[in-house]
Amino acid sequence: MSAPTSQPRVMQQSVFARQGTRLALPISIVLILLVGALLSDKFLTLQNLTNVLINMSIVGIIVVGMTFVFVTRGLADLSVPATVAVGGLLVLGLQSSLGTLGAAVVGVLAAAIAGAVNGWLVGYAGLNPVITTLASGTIVLGIAQVFVGGVIVYGDDPQAQDFLTGRVFGVVPVIVLIFIAVVAMGHLLLSRTVLGRWSYAVGSNPFATQASAVPVRRVRAIAFLLTGTLAGFSGVLLGVTLQTARPGIGMGYEFDAITAVVVGGVSLLGGSGTVLRAIGGLLFVQLLTNIMVLQGVPTEPQGIVKGVLIAGAVAIDVALRRRGGRE
Amino acid sequence: MTETAVLRMTGISKSFPGIRALSTVDFDVEAGEVHAVVGENGAGKSTLMKVLAGVYQPDDGTIELDGVAVRLSDPIEARRRGIGMVYQELNLVPDLTVAENILLGSTPSRFGLVDRRALREQARAVLDELDARIHTDDLVGSLTVSQQQIVEIAKVYAARPRIVVLDEPTSSLSEHETQSLFRIIGRMTEAGLAVIYISHRLREVLDISQRVTVLRDKRLVDTRPTSGISAAEMIRLMVGRDLTEVFPKREVEIGEVALSVTGLSRAGEFNDISLTVRSGEILGLAGLVGAGRTEVARAIFGLDNRDAGLIEIDGTVVNIRGPRDAVRAGIAYVPEDRKRDGIVPQLSIKDNISLAVLDRVSAAGWIRPNAERTLARQKADELTVTPPAITPRVDTLSGGNQQKVVFAKWLAARPRVLILDEPTRGVDVGAKADIHTIIGELAARGTAIVLISSELPEVLAVSDRILVLHDGRISAELPRGASEQEVMHAATGEFVS
Repeated sequence: MSAPTSQPRVMQQSVFARQGTRLALPISIVLILLVGALLSDKFLTLQNLTNVLINMSIVGIIVVGMTFVFVTRGLADLSVPATVAVGGLLVLGLQSSLGTLGAAVVGVLAAAIAGAVNGWLVGYAGLNPVITTLASGTIVLGIAQVFVGGVIVYGDDPQAQDFLTGRVFGVVPVIVLIFIAVVAMGHLLLSRTVLGRWSYAVGSNPFATQASAVPVRRVRAIAFLLTGTLAGFSGVLLGVTLQTARPGIGMGYEFDAITAVVVGGVSLLGGSGTVLRAIGGLLFVQLLTNIMVLQGVPTEPQGIVKGVLIAGAVAIDVALRRRGGRE
Repeated sequence: MTETAVLRMTGISKSFPGIRALSTVDFDVEAGEVHAVVGENGAGKSTLMKVLAGVYQPDDGTIELDGVAVRLSDPIEARRRGIGMVYQELNLVPDLTVAENILLGSTPSRFGLVDRRALREQARAVLDELDARIHTDDLVGSLTVSQQQIVEIAKVYAARPRIVVLDEPTSSLSEHETQSLFRIIGRMTEAGLAVIYISHRLREVLDISQRVTVLRDKRLVDTRPTSGISAAEMIRLMVGRDLTEVFPKREVEIGEVALSVTGLSRAGEFNDISLTVRSGEILGLAGLVGAGRTEVARAIFGLDNRDAGLIEIDGTVVNIRGPRDAVRAGIAYVPEDRKRDGIVPQLSIKDNISLAVLDRVSAAGWIRPNAERTLARQKADELTVTPPAITPRVDTLSGGNQQKVVFAKWLAARPRVLILDEPTRGVDVGAKADIHTIIGELAARGTAIVLISSELPEVLAVSDRILVLHDGRISAELPRGASEQEVMHAATGEFVS
């Protein structure tokens, strides 16, 4: 054996750990596609897969924001149901007076303000994100309910609805294209910009990052601002597609987004993960759900499966971290 | 002498997938002996100690305790067999008292409740045996680092080990505190314990140990009686080459005042600190741990707020409210606590180097990958970071190379004033020499440098001028060529200037 140095061991170990994490998700997605195809002949049809994509789009836009929250070690944004509702309620409620586009802008802006408040409380005031967003979500939802009087809001712009659900070249729904565009922008923002790099640094070691002249508080705040804005946008799309919105419209989206991010291998401890991986996680969960629906599995067992999935993903994250982190 | 060996490790080898971490190393230690282990980072010291601690299982070789072959299957088994480990990172619970920490594993109880009196008495007995003057009821979190270290040693000692391993025990201690630690080590050997002492500080090794084992490249180089070896000889064995001078000092021309601090104060930490550093000058900041050196540096860099004080760069007052302001003003700070304030573990070498100057390698918020790579490549080369690739995660590097990455980050910022806080702590001999070369080069390029170091010979050899802090105040300003004694006098407050 030739003279050993400490260098190859170190690199080999980390490469192994990295590849392990990197390949697990794509392989899982391929496997689940195979399983689905074997179980049902309806699964691998254009119609079915397009439906999966449409279902993914609304929550997928939120996943992009939630990825930033995770990467910056902001734990999670639990105010998502409220900001989705704000977007959905405002776009329909103001439609008649401002037009759909104007109402949409107001809806997104209102959600963005809620996100900015979250960002300020978490980033600058240093409050715990889970408690903060739980509280702010409750407050914002309350305001939204007062705004609509606690009843359902109906839309009156079927053209906007047709536009979003309409298909480009007769295949890809517009809403899916919007989703893909948001994912692309989110991915570039996180992987190519200064803000993105700062986000990873803040999540990995906020102390050293602050000592490196990075505006740590601002970076933390931006993750929540982004999530609020995107959740509001998602709510707008949801409201317009359904042409009906109630205050509870966004319920469960926070959970679905967190599930996707966690299954995508983005660490809750911050500093790692990508938007594309989080979307991969979402795809996996959606395909799994789709298969269960096609197989006629009732809702309750579906929830159990998702819960197990999250626990498993977190366990793997912890295990990989232990193996990746040496000595 | 072989008859009295408490521990004998023979032909210990350990491999990890694809690489040998330890190659047929022999090691033994006797009762009442201090046996030092030295070697560069990555020489195999840690691996050897982890085999002894039961953390790693050797692939080959035998471990005998009192002449009986044993298998140390896990850390609990090793502890049960009388092996006590004091690691560099302390394992104490800050919110518990000294007594509670010392007896954490074996808290005395009555009827299922903690027996407070017995707890206190037993802890007191252990501390008395070690001749350590620490109150049993103080919260560990309120103690100084050196006191905490003594509590950690007492905790290990309380389990009545046969062998105690001390891994870099003095890295955060001042000269004075090191002496009290040595007293405690003396107590332990008098009581018949075998002590294994791992340190980068060769002078301490010469002072405290009876034998020294040198490791290099995962192999045993030699084990010798300490009385027959000099520091220079140890270094030669460690690096396999002669280092003529441990601290070469480069002569450079000293220019105008670059940094001027006037009346800097922070309640409870330091008071009325005034200092100037000139372009090309290296100002040494000496003092005992807790004297306020790091605190002063952190306040100048904006990591902590100051209550009063004026900071000027090149004669212009700068308002520093945070590190961003400091960096903009041309100040850089290589922190004392590398893990906490220095490196961002999950980022690559490249990302760490560019972190403070991303604006320089980006356009409209978008990072320009080529510009960033070029910058990182150049700085990493300048500092001879190993491995030469810039893509590995920084936490896969050795301590010395991580420190070089932190240096590279600040070199990239091209600072006017560079504050170095314990820049060579926990760094192996080779990297240390590299870092000293860089410091000399920076000074030659006109950077004003403030050097904080607990290693007195380092401060004395490298500095052009030395300020000594005592109890949060400047107690002396000494010219180059001052003796260790002069500095120690001022640092302990026995000096009248």
